[in-house]
Amino acid sequence: MNYEEIRKKAYAAYNECSRLQEYLNASASLIDPESQLAELEQLSCDLPLYGEPVAVKDNVCTKIADTTASSGILQGFRPVYDAHITTLLHDAGAVMVAKTSMDELAMGGTNLSAFTGAVNNPYDLNRVSGGSSGGSAALAAAGAVRFAIGSDTGDSVRKPASYCGVIGVKPTYGRISRYGVIPYASSLDTVGYFTLNVKDAAKMLKVLAGRDDRDMTSSYEPVPDYSVNLNTDLTGKKIAVFGNVYDALEPGEVKESLDRVIDGLRKKGAAIEFVRMDPVLAESCMAVYFIISNCEASSNHSNLDGTRFGLQKEADSFTQIMMKSRTEGFSHFVRKKLLIGSYGLYEDNREEIFVKAQKVRRLIVEEYHRMCEGYDALIAPACPHGAPLKSEAENAPLSDRIEDNHMILTNFSGDPSMSVPMGFENGMPVGLLISAKAFDEAGMFRVAAEVEEITGFKDTVREVGK
Amino acid sequence: MKYRTTVGVEIHCELRTETKMFSSAPVSFHKVPNSMVNEIDLALPGTLPSVNKKAVEYALAACMALDMEIDPVVRFDRKNYYYPDLPKGYQITQQFHPVGKNGHVFLQIDGIKKEIRIERLHMEEDTAQMFHKGNHTYIDYNRAGIPLIEIVSAPEMSSGNEAAAYVEILRNTLYYLGVSDAKMEEGSLRCDINVSVRPWDSEKLGVKTEIKNLNSISNIRKAVDYEVSRQIEILDAGKEVEPVTLRFEEVSGKTVFMRRKEESVDYRYFPEPNIPAIELDPEWIGLIRANLPELPEQRRVRYLREYGLSEYEAGVLVQDKELSDYFDKMCAHTKSYKTASKYLLTGVLGYMNAGKIRPEDLKMKPADFALLCDAVTDKTVYSSQAKSILTEILEGADAKNLIQSANKGKVSDIGELAETVKQVIGENPEAVKDYKSGKDRAIGYLTGKMMKKTGGMADPAVISRLIKEEIDKSEREW
Repeated sequence: MNYEEIRKKAYAAYNECSRLQEYLNASASLIDPESQLAELEQLSCDLPLYGEPVAVKDNVCTKIADTTASSGILQGFRPVYDAHITTLLHDAGAVMVAKTSMDELAMGGTNLSAFTGAVNNPYDLNRVSGGSSGGSAALAAAGAVRFAIGSDTGDSVRKPASYCGVIGVKPTYGRISRYGVIPYASSLDTVGYFTLNVKDAAKMLKVLAGRDDRDMTSSYEPVPDYSVNLNTDLTGKKIAVFGNVYDALEPGEVKESLDRVIDGLRKKGAAIEFVRMDPVLAESCMAVYFIISNCEASSNHSNLDGTRFGLQKEADSFTQIMMKSRTEGFSHFVRKKLLIGSYGLYEDNREEIFVKAQKVRRLIVEEYHRMCEGYDALIAPACPHGAPLKSEAENAPLSDRIEDNHMILTNFSGDPSMSVPMGFENGMPVGLLISAKAFDEAGMFRVAAEVEEITGFKDTVREVGK
Repeated sequence: MKYRTTVGVEIHCELRTETKMFSSAPVSFHKVPNSMVNEIDLALPGTLPSVNKKAVEYALAACMALDMEIDPVVRFDRKNYYYPDLPKGYQITQQFHPVGKNGHVFLQIDGIKKEIRIERLHMEEDTAQMFHKGNHTYIDYNRAGIPLIEIVSAPEMSSGNEAAAYVEILRNTLYYLGVSDAKMEEGSLRCDINVSVRPWDSEKLGVKTEIKNLNSISNIRKAVDYEVSRQIEILDAGKEVEPVTLRFEEVSGKTVFMRRKEESVDYRYFPEPNIPAIELDPEWIGLIRANLPELPEQRRVRYLREYGLSEYEAGVLVQDKELSDYFDKMCAHTKSYKTASKYLLTGVLGYMNAGKIRPEDLKMKPADFALLCDAVTDKTVYSSQAKSILTEILEGADAKNLIQSANKGKVSDIGELAETVKQVIGENPEAVKDYKSGKDRAIGYLTGKMMKKTGGMADPAVISRLIKEEIDKSEREW
């Protein structure tokens, strides 16, 4: 592609994100690509993402655009530095066209809690996009961009991917540097992304993965070329079906499409077996997640105090400035979570709440690994249903059922996991979750490529408002 | 009633690394406020800490110097509280697994050796600095993130004097290690002191108070002594000591109320999730141990055993590292250790004190000084001559020439001297009479007169011998 075509493509994406705003409300801010295009002219067109428009979740620090994490307390916050992945995208030749809406500070799964309002699902504007990376998922699903960055702490890439019918990848914890990504819960946070096909997913990971000395949890593990060996058959591969989740499925479209995938994988040479984990540990996932994520978040967000950046309310003393800024800057929902997190860390509670949650996390991970032992991949429906109506989701109580929470398991364990489009339920997309062993993203993509072939869902976009 | 005093000390010491504990911003002092700062020090959203390896090395060296057990797995925790000087809203520290445990130092007070155990040493980061001007508070983040080690003693000191000696020994040890400037007056070494008193026969410790941020060794002594007397007064009056935090007011010499202990916050400690546990390579630990520099105590013992210095001399030299470094440089050129230390601690130290000169700024080269000491020892020059030579070489003059010309001008001809002796005896009949009546110091007086006449160019020992001989001879002649 020549530079003029690149230019056209970038502006087309930028304009499309802008047009979609009315329907999806997916962008926190739009980025005029002009300055990036000027730089691109100097760069080699051999770059892996040369001229490729990307949308980036608004918790990724960018010098060229405000970074608010969809929270009132970060209104107008313009980072003075770029996140590691921002630099990598730039160096790969990508053009950022939008910062995308998310659940406030990534603390949610519906994208209803963004400071700029809910993100709508491209397949039904009355339904949620899922969260917390809802804006990125929606823009990819609507075809505005083919690559979008998200982050995944409990299922925040994979759930919106499932709801919006796109590919959502959560690589191994430590595979991609978190430096410059506003955290939710540091021990669970993983940079992830959305694409429309498996080949692009493989390509994107090659761009983003690798050690960064500024993130001590980032891995030295070599980064392979994930694109080779895609679409080789699965003979000799052992794939496990997550029995606890399968058993919980009601008869209907989701179960039918899962069965079709299982059947297809068998035909491609894979040995399929059903596995199950201890149901008590399985159903402890949400409670453990709730405690660990909110305890860590309560500390992680202590820097949002209204003194150095973001929203600052006037008051007579530091304490007052901080209290007023935090009270006004955070939504009620976030304040509640931070309060719960703080409570779990108090000296009198720490052993009973936080430390116990960490211990149970370890037990869950041990049990999960026991279940997966000997298999190349584990599959399950990402969500038991398609995206709910916004009105339903708003008041839904927390569920502790495994079929609603099983994606958390790979955040606990750090293993890679992704959602690929599997089918529909009442016209709403549903994804298949594929999880693999730590740093075996290549193996995960291999299974995903076969699923893509079985389902035929590849480069599927939903046009909106046309 | 008789009371016992219990004192415990917490020291915070800034490490002299190139960059900060968890960021690559430079560690530098006396710079334009907020110029030595990056996004990590300001805790901008999305930033992450990276552990400074040099800081870990320095902390390990400190552990070794204090004879501590080293935890081979380095782990960090978060201490959460809100304060304007704490940008992240938490400090990264080592609450649950300090890098060092169970060490000790020995105090030497009035010739008595006392062991003080050290409970823990851990790494953490410094806060920003706040300045209050008028109605405004200014924050300088240059200090934010500078590596600190905190060293906590067991409550085993029993007076202000012991607390002062303890801090002095730690200060000096850290300074010798080269891990810190350890300057109390500049805040690179700060200390908080816990004090309690209890009746002599009581098993249970009394209620303790904490004195914050003492900025000199002498203030430690004064603050503890004052606080002990204050607590005793309270107990004598039948009242109870309140567990408060105090600060020392230099002007009045009193400890004054800062805040109540019950106002202290719950720090919500938990393991720092952004820093994985770091397993220390035993080989690296071994390397650090092998490269430890000589520590004050080792140097003191060397001075006593190898150089034959007195306890006093060794003590004074070792207390000032640069002075004793200078001494060691001299000793590379001379074996006249005693003479060297004598001259260094009298003439040279006097000169330095008068001119406020530090040993490292002396114009006199250690080798020149050594030459002079040798000349004195082998009597090439007389001590009387040495004094004036020293005065000149302190100003940078070449010692060799001065010693040579002094040696040339020396009056060593006994015959020549005998004439002058007769002259002096003739001129001072009173002194001769005094000597004859048994007052030996009259010889000193006469020797002085002789030295004046010879311009200091004669050996005083020879002179006094000649004088004695001359008087004794004349007596016999009578």
